[in-house]
Amino acid sequence: MVDFSRVQKELQECNKDINVSGISVNPKSDNLSNLIGTITGPVGTPYEGGTFKIDIDLPGGYPFEPPKMKFATKVWHPNISSQSGAICLDILKDQWSPALTIKTALLSIQALLSAPAPDDPQDAVVAQQYLKDYQTFANTARYWTESFAKTSSAGVEEKVGKLAEMGFPEALVRTTLEAVGGDENLALEKLLSG
Amino acid sequence: MESVEYISSDDENELDYYSSDRDDSNDDALINDDDDDRSNWLPNKGSSSKVITKESLLAAQREDLRRVMELLSLREHHARTLLIHYRWDVETIFAVLVEKGKDRLFTEAGIPNPESHDPVSLVSTSTMMCDICMEDMPSCDMTKMDCGHCFCNTCWTEHFIVKINEGQSRRIRCMAHKCFAICDESVIRNLVSKRHPDLAEKFDRFLLESYIEDNKMVKWCPSTPHCGNAIRVEEDAFCEVECSCGNQFCFSCLCEAHSPCSCAMWQLWTKKCRDESETVNWITVHTKPCPKCHKPVEKNGGCNLVSCICGQAFCWLCGGATGRDHTWSSIAGHSCGRYKEDREKQSERAKRDLYRYMHYHNRYKAHTDSFKQESKLKETIQGKVAILEGKESQLRDFSWVTNGLYRLFRSRRALSYSYPFAFYMFGDELFNDEMTKEDLEIKQHLFEDQQQQLETNVEKLSKFIEEPFDSFTEDKIMEIRMQVINLSVITDNLCKKMYECIETDLLGSLQFGIHNIAPYHSKGIEKATELPVSWTAKQCAGDKRKRLEEPTTGGSSESDRPSGSGSSEETDFPAQKMARTDGFGGGMFDLNLPAEVIDRN
Repeated sequence: MVDFSRVQKELQECNKDINVSGISVNPKSDNLSNLIGTITGPVGTPYEGGTFKIDIDLPGGYPFEPPKMKFATKVWHPNISSQSGAICLDILKDQWSPALTIKTALLSIQALLSAPAPDDPQDAVVAQQYLKDYQTFANTARYWTESFAKTSSAGVEEKVGKLAEMGFPEALVRTTLEAVGGDENLALEKLLSG
Repeated sequence: MESVEYISSDDENELDYYSSDRDDSNDDALINDDDDDRSNWLPNKGSSSKVITKESLLAAQREDLRRVMELLSLREHHARTLLIHYRWDVETIFAVLVEKGKDRLFTEAGIPNPESHDPVSLVSTSTMMCDICMEDMPSCDMTKMDCGHCFCNTCWTEHFIVKINEGQSRRIRCMAHKCFAICDESVIRNLVSKRHPDLAEKFDRFLLESYIEDNKMVKWCPSTPHCGNAIRVEEDAFCEVECSCGNQFCFSCLCEAHSPCSCAMWQLWTKKCRDESETVNWITVHTKPCPKCHKPVEKNGGCNLVSCICGQAFCWLCGGATGRDHTWSSIAGHSCGRYKEDREKQSERAKRDLYRYMHYHNRYKAHTDSFKQESKLKETIQGKVAILEGKESQLRDFSWVTNGLYRLFRSRRALSYSYPFAFYMFGDELFNDEMTKEDLEIKQHLFEDQQQQLETNVEKLSKFIEEPFDSFTEDKIMEIRMQVINLSVITDNLCKKMYECIETDLLGSLQFGIHNIAPYHSKGIEKATELPVSWTAKQCAGDKRKRLEEPTTGGSSESDRPSGSGSSEETDFPAQKMARTDGFGGGMFDLNLPAEVIDRN
C-alpha cells in the first residue's frame, strides 16, 4: 500500500517552490499513485525553454520501492528512449533509497538532461549520434524540444506557415527548421543563403 | 538402419542404469554401503571433506567467523557481513587488509568504521522526524543504525521486508541515499519478527545459507531427492566426494563421479550419448527423404534410381521424383547435374566419426555394464566367505576377497571413464590445435598401452573373484588368494600409471585448454565426514524454544510456518542449489546469540 500521507506531504513540499526549481508534481486523477511531474529544460542545453512532462507511477511499496517514471513528452536524449520515454537512471532502479523523494528524482532527471551519459545509453541511436556528431545531435534535440516540449506545438506550424508564405517550399522549410533546431531567424538566414 | 536402433536402445538402457543407480542406491552398490567390513577399504577418519547438515551449518561457519572477528576485533554481524561480501574467503580478506588497509576493507563491504561508531544514544523524551514517512515520532520508536542514520521503526521494518522479499537478505543497505552500510542483522531480525515471524526465520536461513551459496568451497549435495546436506572441501575443488547420504559426485561439476574424464569432456559425452547426435548424423548422410511419403530411405546398392517402399521412384542424386524407366547411368526424362565430391567427403567423414564414437561408446558401455554386474557380486561373495568360515580350515582371514572386490570396482570405474576421456583426448573436437598429429599419435599409443594392460588385468581379477572358490580345496583357494592379492596390487599400480600418463603426458602438456581431473586415490572416492554439531547448537535450540514461547515474538512454530509466499528469493537461485525440499529452520540454531556469548559459556 502506498504511503499516501507521505505522498501528500511530498506534493505540498514540492509545489511550494515551483518558481525556483521549475519542478511541479500533480495528481493525474483522484488516485495519488498516478502523478504527472513537470520539469523545465535546463538553461544552456538543447532542452532550454522546453517543459517536459513525466508520467509517475507509484508502486505499492513506495517509498521502499522506486517510483516508475517515464517521459510523456518526446525527447531526444541518449539516456531516454525516443520511442517510449523510458529513462535510464540508476536511482530509479537499484540505487533508489527510501530517503529520496519524487522531487529529488525529478531533479536528478533534470540533471540528466544537462549531463547525458552516452556510455550507458537507453537509446543507442541517439547515443551514437551524440558521440559521433554532436552538432546534429544538438540540433535534433533542440528541434524536438521546439516541436514537442513547447507549450503549444503550433509554434512550429506557425513558423513553417510564415516561412512558406515568403515563397520557400514547405518541405524545405521543415528540414531547414529542423536542421537549425527550430530557430525561425536562423532558418530564414539559411534559406536565404541558399 | 540397424545401427540406428542399436544405439538408441542402448542409450536408454544406460540412462535407466544411471537413474536406478541413484534412486535405490542402497541395494545396488557396495559403494554406498555402511557395512563394517568396509572400514578397511575406505578412510573414514581424517578425510578433508566434511558433510554439513542443517544442524552443523552454524558450527561450520563458526571458525571462519571467529578468525575474522579475532583478527579485526569485529562483532559477529560485522564479521559475517565481511565474509559474505568476500565470499567466505578468509585469505582474500587478509590480502585486502594488507593491500588496502582496514578502512577500505570495511567500506567496500559496507561496514561502518567500528571506531567511529558510538552506541545508540537517543534522548527518549524528545520527538524526531523520520525522513522517510515524514512524520514526527517519539525517539523510542526510532532506530539508529551503525552508520549513524536514524529512521522510525515502521519504515525500517517496511524496508527490510521489501528487501528480504527481493532476495537481498544478505546485503540490506541503510535507507539513507548513498549510504552503503549494511544493516545490523540483529536489528533486522528483531524488527521483522514483530510483524512477520516467518519472514524473520527465512531471513536467518538465507543468512546462514550464505555459507553454502556464496562459497566456492561448499556446495549442496546434488542428490535427488535432496538429502539436505552440503559438502565442504579443503583446498582443491577438483575432487570426488561421497556425501553421508551415499551419493557420490564430482565436486566441481556436481555430476556423477567421472574421473579421469574432465568435467568438460564428461558434459560433452553425456550430451552426445543423450541426443544420439551421431545417429542423426548418420541418417542425414546415408538416407534421403522420399519425395512422396517423406520417410528416410537408405540406398542399399544398385543404380541411382531408388524406389521407396511406398512405390515412389526417385533420383538418389538430387532426391527428385522420377519415372521408373532407366538405364544404369541415366533415368529417362531426368537429368540433374553432376557427381558432387563434397557430398561424398562429407558422408565419409560422418561415417568415420560414427564408427569412432561407436568404438568408444561400446567399450565404455561394456565396462559400466560389467561394473553393474559385479556390484551384485558382493552378496554372493559374502555368502562364499561365510561358507568358508564355517569350514575347518587353516585359512582364517578372508579380507583378501573383499579387498580384491573393492579393487575391482575401483579399477573398473577408472577403466570405463577412460574411454570417453580417450574419445575426446584423441579426437579433433577439443584439442585440434594443441599438438601435431604425430605427437598425438605417439601419445595415443602410449595411453592405449596403459589402458590395455589395465583392461587385461581387470578382467583377470574379475575372473578369479567370480570363481566358486567356496567349493575348492584349500590349496586351490590359496592359489586364488595369491592371484587376487597379486592382481589387486597390479591393477592399483596400473590405475596409478594410467592417471599419471593422463595428468602429465596428456592433459599436462596442453597449451591452450585447461582440463583438471579429480586425482586417483587407491582408497577410492573420499567419504566426507560429518562435522560435529557443537554443543552450542543444542544450547541454541533450547534458547530458541524459550524465545518462541514468548507471545511477543509471534509464537511461530515449525508446523504453522507458511511456505514463504511472496518471496522471490527462493526462485532466484540456480535450480541445483535449491533442489532440496525441506527447509532449514528446524530450530537448531539461533543467530540471536552472538558468538561471544556462546563462546563464553
